[in-house]
Amino acid sequence: MPNPPSPDFLPAPAEARVFAEMRRRLVSTVLRQTFSRARFRVSLVVALTGVLWGGIFWMFYDGFLFLRTTNQDVYAATVHGLFGAFLLALMLMLMVSSGIILYGSLFRSCEIGFLLTLPARSERLFLHKFQEAIVLSSWGFLLLASPMLLAYGVVAEAPWYFYALLMPMVIAFIYIPVAIGAMLCLGVVRLVRDNPLAILIGLGILLAAVSAWVGWGLFNGPRNDLLTPAWFQEVLGRLKIADYRLLPSWWLTTGVLDAADSSMLAEATLFLTLLISNALFFRQLALWTAGRVYRAAYSGLYGRTLRRKRARRGRFDQFLGWLLRPLPDPVRLLIVKDLRLFRRDPLQWSQVLIFAGFLVVYFWNIPRFTYNIAAVGTYIGWVNMVSFLNLSVVGLLLSTFTTRFVYPVISLEGRRFWILDLTGVSRQTVLWSKYFFATGGTLLPCATLVLISDLTLKVPVVVLLIHQLTCVVLCSGLAGIAVGLGAWLPNLREESPARIAAGFGGTLTLVVSTLYILIVVLLTAMPTHFYFAAHYAVSLPASPGWQSIQRWLMFWWVAGTVGSLLVGVAATAIPLRIGFKAFSRLEC
Amino acid sequence: MMIEFENVTRCYARKVAVDRLTLTVPPGELFTLLGPNGAGKTTTIKMVTGLLRPTGGSVRVCGHDVVGDQRNATLAIGYVPEEPFLYDKLTGREFLEFAGQMRGLTGSLLRNRIARESEFFELADYLDDLAESYSHGMRQRLVFASAMLHDPPALVVDEPMVGLDPRSVRAVKDRLRARADAGTIVFMSTHTLAIAEEIADRIGIMDHGQLRTLCTRSELETLMASHHASLEGLFLELTNGANGKTHKAGNGAANGDSVGDLSLEQ
Repeated sequence: MPNPPSPDFLPAPAEARVFAEMRRRLVSTVLRQTFSRARFRVSLVVALTGVLWGGIFWMFYDGFLFLRTTNQDVYAATVHGLFGAFLLALMLMLMVSSGIILYGSLFRSCEIGFLLTLPARSERLFLHKFQEAIVLSSWGFLLLASPMLLAYGVVAEAPWYFYALLMPMVIAFIYIPVAIGAMLCLGVVRLVRDNPLAILIGLGILLAAVSAWVGWGLFNGPRNDLLTPAWFQEVLGRLKIADYRLLPSWWLTTGVLDAADSSMLAEATLFLTLLISNALFFRQLALWTAGRVYRAAYSGLYGRTLRRKRARRGRFDQFLGWLLRPLPDPVRLLIVKDLRLFRRDPLQWSQVLIFAGFLVVYFWNIPRFTYNIAAVGTYIGWVNMVSFLNLSVVGLLLSTFTTRFVYPVISLEGRRFWILDLTGVSRQTVLWSKYFFATGGTLLPCATLVLISDLTLKVPVVVLLIHQLTCVVLCSGLAGIAVGLGAWLPNLREESPARIAAGFGGTLTLVVSTLYILIVVLLTAMPTHFYFAAHYAVSLPASPGWQSIQRWLMFWWVAGTVGSLLVGVAATAIPLRIGFKAFSRLEC
Repeated sequence: MMIEFENVTRCYARKVAVDRLTLTVPPGELFTLLGPNGAGKTTTIKMVTGLLRPTGGSVRVCGHDVVGDQRNATLAIGYVPEEPFLYDKLTGREFLEFAGQMRGLTGSLLRNRIARESEFFELADYLDDLAESYSHGMRQRLVFASAMLHDPPALVVDEPMVGLDPRSVRAVKDRLRARADAGTIVFMSTHTLAIAEEIADRIGIMDHGQLRTLCTRSELETLMASHHASLEGLFLELTNGANGKTHKAGNGAANGDSVGDLSLEQ
């Protein structure tokens, strides 16, 4: 039988206060340092967040207005269906992301190794990390959901209590999937013998795939004309999946919509109570589970990690080595090493798979854009627009890719830089290898996907060639920006690539990359669009004035293409030059 | 008030990291666990601190089972890990306050203890700096200070001298010795044979998860004299590290606190 607790034990409330005080000190130091040392960074992040939030708000505001004016009959049902589906998807994402976050913080962090040696309750340690997971996994949710919900309130001219009830409802809702994700994490680690992280990631990929499949069914299936009442009815029928009344997403949806109605305060309060009581129940259940299994799970996890992990030199490495023979030996070896490290890190490639999944779903949908062409107007103009839209989408996804995966590589390399220094490999060689790795790694999928999209859309050959050229310019520039800024603003303290990418340098890389994509696509898209629109507009007379306009458009078309090439060269050369200089001065 | 291992086994999948360890470390003893890499020393230490649970057998600290009565067992321990953890964004003082408060120290008692330890470990001038600015040695000393704040009946120390300068090494050795002399159990794992030879009351040599030899310092000296060997030579022979010679496991390993059979097959 366990001995009775010693009088030296802190009572639970005092223990909670000690942890809260420790966290308060940590947060206040971080804030103080951030505001005193990185005002530009904070301003940039706040401004970007504000722009993003405002953009989402405007999009939803406009969407709700459009829906209300064009489809009054199905407006309420459509909004309910959309909210339900949106919140259900977010709930599932929250569940998985919090499970993965808690796996890292409860089982793999250095901090927890220290905390577990203190005489603290297991429940307190769990709560400490649970609260972090709530914040970390829900900020994205708040950023996406709050403009949507507020826009709805504004369009619906909701009473004051809509705004008062919104935040408690959302917070209570967030608790439920995070608590379920936490129990899932504890259960998987406790019960699964081998590689619980792979199971959690696998669950995440499975959920993403199911969500993509459901989304595909929703918007690919309806055969009626887009945005017509019949189309809405058909989509609504497919949104029934989110209408299951035991889902917390349904409670939040109904509660929010009731709160926006000035006659349904009581119903809204009922749903708020339902959400809060369930949030408390699931939190308590997670706490109870942690009290019983956490320490055993922690100990058990480290009972299966001493297995020797053997890795053979894969045929792919050999093939890559052969493929890269034209490059100097050090560059080739560094590229092969980077790819090998990447391949053996499931956290990295699983995220790439998700990126690739989005791209494939998007391109699968391209034929939908050719739907009902006659109603859209000039075919060639439409196709041109869609093809450049495809290019922009690919570019934006690539910029996310280079920010998330290429930018942190320099910081991670910097930590081990002394090894490379000792081998005699110059720092410039290291950066060139990263640049070639990033350019090659992005150009291949980018050019292939854009080629498929162009062939599907049957664009003119010359446009297809311009797109391929734009791909080269885009990939080279994005790689240059990511490598250059990565070398200029490395984060040598952080070990996690995700955290490095989420920092200031990563944010700046993303912003610069996005601007670069917009400039390049606009420089090539607009002149091309106008040139072909004019070229195929057969109804216009072939007068001398018209011919001079065509020559003028031709000039702009060529100038735009050359301009985008120059921008591409500048985006590659300038960041790389800055990066080379900074990297050569770097002391590790 | 002892640290007791009773037939303790810990497995990592099929690998047995600690094999039926039976050992008692009484109060006032500075016990040093020696062994090559992978011998099971750190696993043993982690079982004492409750981070890892034994696959079989039991570990008790001052009468508290580390699994069934984990909080009491942890409260009785001051632990210095091989790789110290500090919150970079806390000052040394804030870290010590957190560690002390978690062990029930408050008010003037906590302040006095922080002053005492920071003075001893020569941290007083840096106590209000953020830990992110500390060198490795300072971090290590701060962790020592936090482990000793509550005057625990048992100190568990894993590779204590890594990263410390000679002056700090001397201070830590003196402090550990003084604590042991004052009645604290000091359970230490190290690779540094000279430290064990200098300050340990009793030495255990572990290899492949088993306690091969257990002897007091004076017995060790006798043994070294009879074998005309240094502690390093003995250590290498016992752990098969030199010339592939074999050895018999000491009976002490089986008997816990009795002196083992130290004869070696030459």
